Amino acid sequence: MNAIRRRFQPEQVRELVLIALIIGIIIFFGTQIENYFSPRTFTRISTSVAVVAIVAVGQTLVILTRNIDLSVGSIVGFTAYVVGTYLAANNDLPPALAVLAAVGIGAVMGAFNGMVVAYGRVPAIIVTLGTLAIYRTLLVEISGARSVLTSALPRWLVNLPPVNVFSIGAIDIRLLFAVAVLVVIVFQLIVTYSAWGRRLYAIGSNPDAARIAGFPAQRIVFTAFVLSGALAGLAGFVFLARFGNITVVAGQGIELQSVAAAVVGGVNINGGIGSPFGAFLGALLVDIIDNSLIRWLAISEFLRNALLGLLILLAVATDTVIMNRLRKLWSRHELQVATGQAPTEKGKGHRAV
Amino acid sequence: MFKQSLKGLSLLLIFSVLLAACAPAVAPAPQAAAPEAAATEAPAEAPAAEGEGVPMVLMPKFLGILVFDQAYQGALEAHNEIGNPAQLQFLGPTPENSVAGQIEILTNATTQGVKAIMISNNAGDQIAPAAKAAREAGMTVVTWDSPIPSAEGEQVFVAQVDFDETGTVMADMARSILGEDGGKFAVLSASPDAANQNAWIAALQRVLEQPEYANLELLEIVYGNDQSEDSYNQALALVDKYPDMELIMAPTTVGIAAAAKAMQDEGLCDQVKVSGLGLPAEMLEFTLNGCAPEFALWSFVDLGYLAYHVAYKLATGELQGVEGETFEAGRMGSYTIEKDPTREAGLRVLMGPFTVYDASNVEAAAQ
Repeated sequence: MNAIRRRFQPEQVRELVLIALIIGIIIFFGTQIENYFSPRTFTRISTSVAVVAIVAVGQTLVILTRNIDLSVGSIVGFTAYVVGTYLAANNDLPPALAVLAAVGIGAVMGAFNGMVVAYGRVPAIIVTLGTLAIYRTLLVEISGARSVLTSALPRWLVNLPPVNVFSIGAIDIRLLFAVAVLVVIVFQLIVTYSAWGRRLYAIGSNPDAARIAGFPAQRIVFTAFVLSGALAGLAGFVFLARFGNITVVAGQGIELQSVAAAVVGGVNINGGIGSPFGAFLGALLVDIIDNSLIRWLAISEFLRNALLGLLILLAVATDTVIMNRLRKLWSRHELQVATGQAPTEKGKGHRAV
Repeated sequence: MFKQSLKGLSLLLIFSVLLAACAPAVAPAPQAAAPEAAATEAPAEAPAAEGEGVPMVLMPKFLGILVFDQAYQGALEAHNEIGNPAQLQFLGPTPENSVAGQIEILTNATTQGVKAIMISNNAGDQIAPAAKAAREAGMTVVTWDSPIPSAEGEQVFVAQVDFDETGTVMADMARSILGEDGGKFAVLSASPDAANQNAWIAALQRVLEQPEYANLELLEIVYGNDQSEDSYNQALALVDKYPDMELIMAPTTVGIAAAAKAMQDEGLCDQVKVSGLGLPAEMLEFTLNGCAPEFALWSFVDLGYLAYHVAYKLATGELQGVEGETFEAGRMGSYTIEKDPTREAGLRVLMGPFTVYDASNVEAAAQ
């Protein structure tokens, strides 16, 4: 037991708690919905979570530094529209270039956010709330009320959503889902093992200490926003592939979905705690609940949103209770080690974190 | 830790409040239009007599949507034909700010000397007080595409089609796609509180009660909130829920396109067809490959043209806005103001009819 305690921190166990919650929810809906345990359900949920999962990873990087990016929904819509329009006019553009363009446009928009937040020292919520409207209005202006039309897009793009990377038995792993998973893995490794990634946590936990310690805090915050924008751009490309017809309202509301996914996934809104993998699990949890509720015959359309909110609250509350218990366990142990005492009634007073 | 979570939650709450509160202030659309409107202020001081020119505003639900721009083309055509020397402005809110933005534009127009406004209302009855204030200030208020439900503050609603006819057209398309033996279908609508969609679905349900439509069974009505993502997921959920469903009827342009793309992506087009109200350009691909063999729509260019004629004639006093009045609307011919049978109160001018699109005519219309 002690070895386990030394090996893991409560924050690392948190992901296991989320996975347990997800399994619990799946088992519950399995008893309620006919044919729920089928490869089809996996395909439905995995394809539907891809866009938000990619955005949530970028959002996590920003939130870790004690900032927030509310402009991601507009960036998704803007890149989907611009890249779509260009592809519709130039059907022979190489796919790799199209993806690169989407990521690039997103990165530029993120860089603007990052510049104003990091170097202009304007609160991120104000800046990105502003760019949320500015990017959307820019889209309305350049669109001239024309939509991107599925029939004008190159065939490879329209036929992208059903493409399988590989199958495990009857379970298909779709390309767009694989892209999202790859993004999660890459950024999970970056925040865990790279110096840049560790500094994200340092800055979010204590910005003043990080600055005094000599971290290039501004540059790191700036980079986090650039990456958040770039990932939103990538998500914009996925959005374009999935829906084909793109109007000026594309991607509206994704900013709050991504914040919700991150928070449900254990990313602390005050920075310093959380991980891309956690945000992915958060996005998955919300999406499973949402997609299951619309298939649950017992629930009317009008109750669904309320129930979705209730289930998310329940999940987060359960998670919080379990995490608090775990932290108490850990701190009691640390207290033991520090003072060499057995846990006594007196020790209880010091447990709170 | 618990305290921190609470802090996080309250922060989230604050975000949403801020989002709701700040967005109108940031959206530049109404402000950007202000200088143009100010320029027309001087001549508008005088009452709008014939030949003086009537400054007019055409307001869509929000900017950036093709059909509303088509309506503006139609209104502009009428504007030039009639030779109104004043300005016709196309003013609308940005998408994320539709409801508050519409009310703001209407209120501003009242103070800026605009003499007639044509509104595709997206704000329900919330816009009624501003519309009444505009009426009291002597402005002509006409709605098109989507009316003010209570009709308060509105003189006439220019209806695209008879809402009851929409029900018949949808039922007929369902019968034509499902064949003689009929079958089961579901409706994928916009949001649960969209006034026109709800009226059309109610009309569809009434039509289905007639004996000749007895073999059509409506399984469920679901809502995609006019978002691609929600509509796409809802369409697939319908397929999963009802294995014997053969048709999804979507009386919304966003819903029908998203549902058709979902069926195409999952290879379900042979099993489940899609129909409803759609834009030829957006539906071209799906109509030609058989995913959405038939759908219907009216001309938004004509709707804008007719709305302009009604608003101009009311503003110049050529029309009084009472039941039974008949007038000539340029190239579109003769129309009559009548009581609106789809609402408790209010008058309407009915345009009609529907065009039903299939593989034979969709390509020409998509250009």
